Amino acid sequence: MNQQLTIAPKRVGWFCSYVPEEIILAAGCRPVRLEGRVERFQEIDSYLNANLCFTIRNIFESGLTNQYDDLNAVIFANSCDGMRRLYELWSHYIQTPTAYFLEIPKNRDENSAAFFSSSLLNLKRQMEEDFAISITAERLVQAGIQMNERRGKMLELFGRQKLSPPPCKGSELYNLAIQESRLPKRDIDRKIQFALEKTYPVQSAGKAAPRLLVSGNEGASFTLFQLIEKSGADVVLFDTCRGMNHYTGMVSMEKDPIQSIARRYLFKPTCARMPGNAERMERLTALIDEYAIDGVVYSGVQFCDYSLFESALIEPFLKERSLPVLFVENDYIWSNKEQIRTRIEAFVEMIQNKRRTA
Amino acid sequence: MMQERYQMMLDMIQARLLEKQRGMDFFIDAMFRNVLRAFDPEIPTVYVSGYAFPMELLWAFDVTPFDFEIACNNLPEVMSGNGSGFMLESEKRGYSRNICSFDRLIIGCLNKGILPKGDLFLTSSYYCHGKAKTNEIVAAHYGMESVLLDVPNEINPDAITYVAAQLRNIAAKLEAVTGTKLDPARLKESIGRSNQARASLLTIYDWMKRRPCPWNGVEACLLGLGGALFWGSTIRMEIHRLLLAQISERVKKGKIIPEDYRILWFPWVPVQNTNIFNILTKNRANVVMAEASFVFWPELDENRPFESLAMKALMDPHVGKVERRIQNLVKSIDDYRIDGVIHFGTTSCYHENAAFPMIRDAIKKKGVPLLNLSGDMSDERNYSASETDIRISAFLEFLAG
Ligand code: SF4
Ligand code: SF4
Repeated sequence: MNQQLTIAPKRVGWFCSYVPEEIILAAGCRPVRLEGRVERFQEIDSYLNANLCFTIRNIFESGLTNQYDDLNAVIFANSCDGMRRLYELWSHYIQTPTAYFLEIPKNRDENSAAFFSSSLLNLKRQMEEDFAISITAERLVQAGIQMNERRGKMLELFGRQKLSPPPCKGSELYNLAIQESRLPKRDIDRKIQFALEKTYPVQSAGKAAPRLLVSGNEGASFTLFQLIEKSGADVVLFDTCRGMNHYTGMVSMEKDPIQSIARRYLFKPTCARMPGNAERMERLTALIDEYAIDGVVYSGVQFCDYSLFESALIEPFLKERSLPVLFVENDYIWSNKEQIRTRIEAFVEMIQNKRRTA
Repeated sequence: MMQERYQMMLDMIQARLLEKQRGMDFFIDAMFRNVLRAFDPEIPTVYVSGYAFPMELLWAFDVTPFDFEIACNNLPEVMSGNGSGFMLESEKRGYSRNICSFDRLIIGCLNKGILPKGDLFLTSSYYCHGKAKTNEIVAAHYGMESVLLDVPNEINPDAITYVAAQLRNIAAKLEAVTGTKLDPARLKESIGRSNQARASLLTIYDWMKRRPCPWNGVEACLLGLGGALFWGSTIRMEIHRLLLAQISERVKKGKIIPEDYRILWFPWVPVQNTNIFNILTKNRANVVMAEASFVFWPELDENRPFESLAMKALMDPHVGKVERRIQNLVKSIDDYRIDGVIHFGTTSCYHENAAFPMIRDAIKKKGVPLLNLSGDMSDERNYSASETDIRISAFLEFLAG
């Protein structure tokens, strides 16, 4: 193991929004949200089909080319069929850093909460052994309190976006969310506080740009936000698993800490991995009203089954409500950026025209 | 329209059965009759994917289990290579061609209005999440709830308890739609029938170890998938009884197709009509075993029905680690004295395609030639007959040395 890593706080990679950072923090480690780190594929094609989800391809290629050497462990989760296999591919071909596998139930009831608690206990035990630390109830409670505070502040920032015009650019907020999932928690708390205290220039309401909501899966990236903003619209809200969805719901701490953590994650707003299309549409409709949204951009990573199914449901659902919607697919590195730019520009223009004639 | 198609196919198969009682014909007849029964408003219809659900539970109730995947895929249009007509019905509603053809087909059939109305919509998290998504879409169309049996990746006591509790909950839903309480004695009987059928299937598989092989691995695969619906029913027992009689008669009369090469097939055989099996037969390459027909679960315990059905679900090779699939495949290479392995990949089957490199490496290590055919289970647009022909011929030449 890298000498430096034995001194610096141990870094544990995680990917899915259903993986509780509390456990990592309570193990005295620094949670780092895993991202694909390669711009170009070199090795992957000799392992994986070209039509496998590009997030998985990118993370696997990053592992194959030793891009995660700064991590001490990685937690994979049973997020989707591909992720389940990625864990195995990792354990088979890459091995380091150490990989853990976390089961996440798909239903949301008491039986599932009990099973999720047992999966978290398993993870906790493995981490205790590997990191030679006792993850006590106190440490878990502490981590829960810390995460709740941060969630509360992030939600406050998201809540302010209801104003017209929104105080914060979507890309700035996205950047903050990215940093929140990567930086040491001390540093990020300062940044969030700064964002909360910052006074944003008030624009005149008349000039407000079209208000867009970004929905979809993990691949909604900075590039997309920039493209939208450059085309003259505001990303008022993003309710992806890097966005408001990720921060919604607190750890209650009324039960045993592991059970409380399990419940928070299982009962938070769902993503497309879970059953409950109707419930997700309801949430989307409520957010559209609360944030006075003019149009929705649904973003998915190519070959992600979940977003392929969900986008097909969302499009007619919103169109029926006369709300413009655009589905964009990316290959994680957005090599199709120019093509998407053209589509976004046309989409924003269409909304502007609609507003003019309204 | 589905009824008419199935009635027509049923008439044909029944004419064949009048000539002679063959195991596979009996199975197909039962499958077709079952599809037709799903339209009967008098009996509750339960949507389910038989190959991914412990069916023994359903056979303890008076319901018609309707395997929506198999029913749609056995439509004559699909089998004759024209299934894309239905798929277009879903594609024009925004379902991408990157979604598995099985799912696009079902959604297409739904939009064409040819599916029966269901009273309960069961699904499971294995093999893939596409089926759960599709089931939810179909259920919502009928204003019903979709019930998901969530089967974890790893087997441990907590996972067994978790799955067993879900099965108890599903039993309660079945009680609600049938208006009858679960009779433990009936569940016991269903499990007993399943165990008997399992034992007779193992006897059939022993016969298949003989060279030349007295039965066909492709049929075993079809029975493995479509026939999974009947685990726990008397139908499954009867299919095996007829098959055993046929096999022993064939052996006795020396009526077995000669074979030069013994092929192991995985994971599934295409539903659509392809030239694959003609080429193999012409070259005396016999598919003697298929992964989808493996008996991967131990005998079920009648006294702990929910736990043992949970275990059956957890042990499905398409739930857990690829390692289990590898062990089964490698073992069957020895057991069935395999000369070559063929993998048939479906373009959008993500979990299978991601598992493939590990399986490929293990088979390579075993030193057995492997052919990776890419195609599609049912979308003819993703299948090229000429390319397949070239690849199989090259593979057979390689086997010939
Ligand atoms: S979209 Fe859902 S399953 Fe996928 S990473 Fe995000 S939270 Fe996890
Ligand atoms: S082929 Fe693969 S993706 Fe399609 S239904 Fe079967 S298991 Fe699912």
